[in-house]
Amino acid sequence: MVSRRDFFMGAGALVGAGLVTRAGAASLPEAPVMSSAATQPPLAPPNGRPYNPVVTLNGWSLPWRMNNGVKEFHLVAEPVVRELAPGMKANLWGYNGQSPGPTIEVVEGDRVRIFVTNKLPEHTSIHWHGQRLPNGMDGVTGLTQPGIQPGKTFVYEFVARRPGTFMYHPHADEMTQMAMGMMGFWVTHPKNPGSMRVDRDFVFLLNNYDIDPGSYTPKVNTMLDFNLFTFNSRVFPGIDSMNVRQGDRVRIRVGNLTMTNHPIHLHGHEFVVAGTDGGWTPPASRWPEVTTDIAVGQMRAIEFDATDPGDWAFHCHKSHHTMNAMGHNVPTMIGVDQRGIVQKINKLVPDYMVMGERGMADMGEMEMPLPDNTLPMMGGQGPFGSVEMGGMFTVVKVRKDQKPGDYKDPGWYKHPAGTLAYEWKGETPQAARSDSAGGQSMPAEGRQGTIEMNVRKPSGHAGHH
Amino acid sequence: MIFQSIMSGARPLSIGLTAVVLTGCATFSKDGGLDAVSAMTAERTGQTVQFARPGSNTETIENNVHQLLSKPLTPDTAVQIALQNNRALQASLAELGIAESDLVQAGRMRNPGFSFGRMRGGDELEIERGIMFDIVGLLTIPIRRDIEGRRFEQARLQAASQAVRLVAETRKAYFNAVAAQQTAQYMEQVGMAAEASAELAKRMAKVGNWSKLDQAREQAFHADATAQIARAKHNAIAAREQLARLMGVWGAGTAFQLPDRLPDLPKEVGAINDIEAQAMRQRLDIQMAKYDTEATASALGLTKATGFINVLHAGYANKSTTDAPRENGYEIELELPIFDWGGAKTARAEAVYMQSLHRTADIAVRARSEVRESYSAYRTSYDLAKHYRDEVVPLRKRISDEMLLRYNGMLASVFELLADARDQINSVNAAIEAQRDFWVADTDLQSAVNGTGGASTPMRGQASSQTAAQAH
Repeated sequence: MVSRRDFFMGAGALVGAGLVTRAGAASLPEAPVMSSAATQPPLAPPNGRPYNPVVTLNGWSLPWRMNNGVKEFHLVAEPVVRELAPGMKANLWGYNGQSPGPTIEVVEGDRVRIFVTNKLPEHTSIHWHGQRLPNGMDGVTGLTQPGIQPGKTFVYEFVARRPGTFMYHPHADEMTQMAMGMMGFWVTHPKNPGSMRVDRDFVFLLNNYDIDPGSYTPKVNTMLDFNLFTFNSRVFPGIDSMNVRQGDRVRIRVGNLTMTNHPIHLHGHEFVVAGTDGGWTPPASRWPEVTTDIAVGQMRAIEFDATDPGDWAFHCHKSHHTMNAMGHNVPTMIGVDQRGIVQKINKLVPDYMVMGERGMADMGEMEMPLPDNTLPMMGGQGPFGSVEMGGMFTVVKVRKDQKPGDYKDPGWYKHPAGTLAYEWKGETPQAARSDSAGGQSMPAEGRQGTIEMNVRKPSGHAGHH
Repeated sequence: MIFQSIMSGARPLSIGLTAVVLTGCATFSKDGGLDAVSAMTAERTGQTVQFARPGSNTETIENNVHQLLSKPLTPDTAVQIALQNNRALQASLAELGIAESDLVQAGRMRNPGFSFGRMRGGDELEIERGIMFDIVGLLTIPIRRDIEGRRFEQARLQAASQAVRLVAETRKAYFNAVAAQQTAQYMEQVGMAAEASAELAKRMAKVGNWSKLDQAREQAFHADATAQIARAKHNAIAAREQLARLMGVWGAGTAFQLPDRLPDLPKEVGAINDIEAQAMRQRLDIQMAKYDTEATASALGLTKATGFINVLHAGYANKSTTDAPRENGYEIELELPIFDWGGAKTARAEAVYMQSLHRTADIAVRARSEVRESYSAYRTSYDLAKHYRDEVVPLRKRISDEMLLRYNGMLASVFELLADARDQINSVNAAIEAQRDFWVADTDLQSAVNGTGGASTPMRGQASSQTAAQAH
């Protein structure tokens, strides 16, 4: 945990005199940096209008300086090393020490001045996604402003007119800079802190990377076949859980800056989409969901009452997106008997082990050496074994005794007696099976005969694993 | 003999003169010139030559060879066997005996002839007795001895150069045979990888995970690999038979054992100073050319002095091929200076001398060039073999290790793993070839410095690692 005072002290040490000119130093706010990838506690506003701060999943909020009634922030665009999960780090580009950059929290009606210093090797800019602002502050290089050259600082200034959920990202060499992780969250709180009030307000961005196993830098030219799908540039099991108190009204705001849509799914509760990029949805138009699809470039704020205690999965429902790097061209080995072949292969590759014959769960169970800086495709140990997940997956932990304002991980849920699935120990009679696959609406003519398929039941595997 | 008629009339010469000439006559040497050949060979190859004389040491040689064959061969033992057992070399050594007999013969006077005639005409009886000496023969003894002496020397050089060449060929055949055997073994491993892929593909198709197309592709690779194995096996047999021929073994002798691996590369390459000068001293073809020139020079001197004795037709031993029998000899004509006083003949002799001189110079120039080329081949093949050993093979190993890690993470399939294993084996094969090329180049360099020159040594291209393209 890092306090705001620590931020500024740390920032003083880290932001050297080389960053700004002596003449400008007096007027340029400090740029705090964050070195930890852990979720930081909410930043209670020390001045300005009051609001209920958000919690950035595996991230933090950017402190500001009040200057004659103007909220001044300082973002530094720079190369960073981001830990995607313990065991894997990536060379990314971000802001103030992390990718994604810190969340900017302001209040409706605030005059905001943002200093952007470019410490990247190429020019950049920031586009304030979803904001109403003067056209010249929109941050599109070439169209509304020149690029911020390396070493230069630009100032953006506008009034945060509309409350809601926003994000920021470069609009200069956008493909590269976003593929390298340049993005951040923006929340404009309503003027009245009582309006739209919730007990816990979590925010994060969806991002994706293509980092070849054994390497460290994303392949910026990948278009669709990404191998790492992340919440705030973190993958499971490196994503923090969202810990709430039973009965809390919980809001989760998600922005999508990947190259595809993500059906985000919550277990155990139904939620409503309470807000989009366009603003808050009128209560009458909200309908209950357990999955909401978030398209590319969209924001969704979902809300629910955490009524049921437990460890509830929360994830993207595209199953490849809850996996880490995997070979998309690896053939299916299910049911392929490798007896006899293994010995041959072992003569050539002594450490070869059969995998995939029974499915891919082997991957979650076996701990085998992998290439450098590569996470297992699936894993994450839960109280009952491997969770067999990766990528965009985390847990909402609902506890009776989680104190208000406490975001600490309460540990695994202890299921009350009689509330846990158990093994049937009685008789297992043969299930009745239908011998007809049903009718066909349009049977192909002249095509006779059936294909003989043998179902190989998982048995008799002794000795070849 | 064309001199015969003259001889019969040459009665008045004293027997005393004859006796003086005959005291210097040649006798057979103890070793028949073999020791000199053996010494020359040993100086150049470190191995001595054995000659199987009828009824003498054949049994010892047989025992020697038998004993050498009972253990896995080394390059040296293979050479020892060849030097004792190669029949072409033995034939060449027998030639030495022929040359020596000629030399001894040349130093001897023809036996005097005795003639007795009895004629009766009426009452008269005439008895004619005559003792005939080969006067011309006597006159030409020094020339003939000189020539035969050179021929004998030539025969020794010839025999030595053949022995040295046999040593080189045997060494090369040995390295080829060991390398081919090693390659065949590794090809079996490639085959095993291909077989595993094909079998797995078959089972995948059987349970419905793969199409016939995918299966056929793996099957096709296996089929190709099988053909390659057959070739590699034949190459191993062919290389072995080449060695068997040079060692002159047959029957039970062909069951000789080769070691599993080629000898390791030496730690350092031989730095060879004054290598060209060494070749000028050592090379047998240069020595032969020198003898040839000297002989021509003395023939020239003789022609100038007399003008009547024509030794230009004297045939000197030249490089001869191993298979064909040499045909050489000489002829001396003694002419009566009635019409031609020999001016043209002298001019011709001079031209022939010059020709011989140029030939010798040419051989020397070629030899120097051959030495430089062989040295380059030797250096380069050493560096290449070392490069394969220290860079290519370890890199391939690292690739395979990383590939296994990728397989572990389900990032790569077992087929990629097997294809990579094949690539790794192929790079090991390429390393074996490079190592073999070094030992062959080493032998060629020795030939260029000490023998009569090795074959030109172009670097062989390595295509083996390209087979990777056939994988997925």
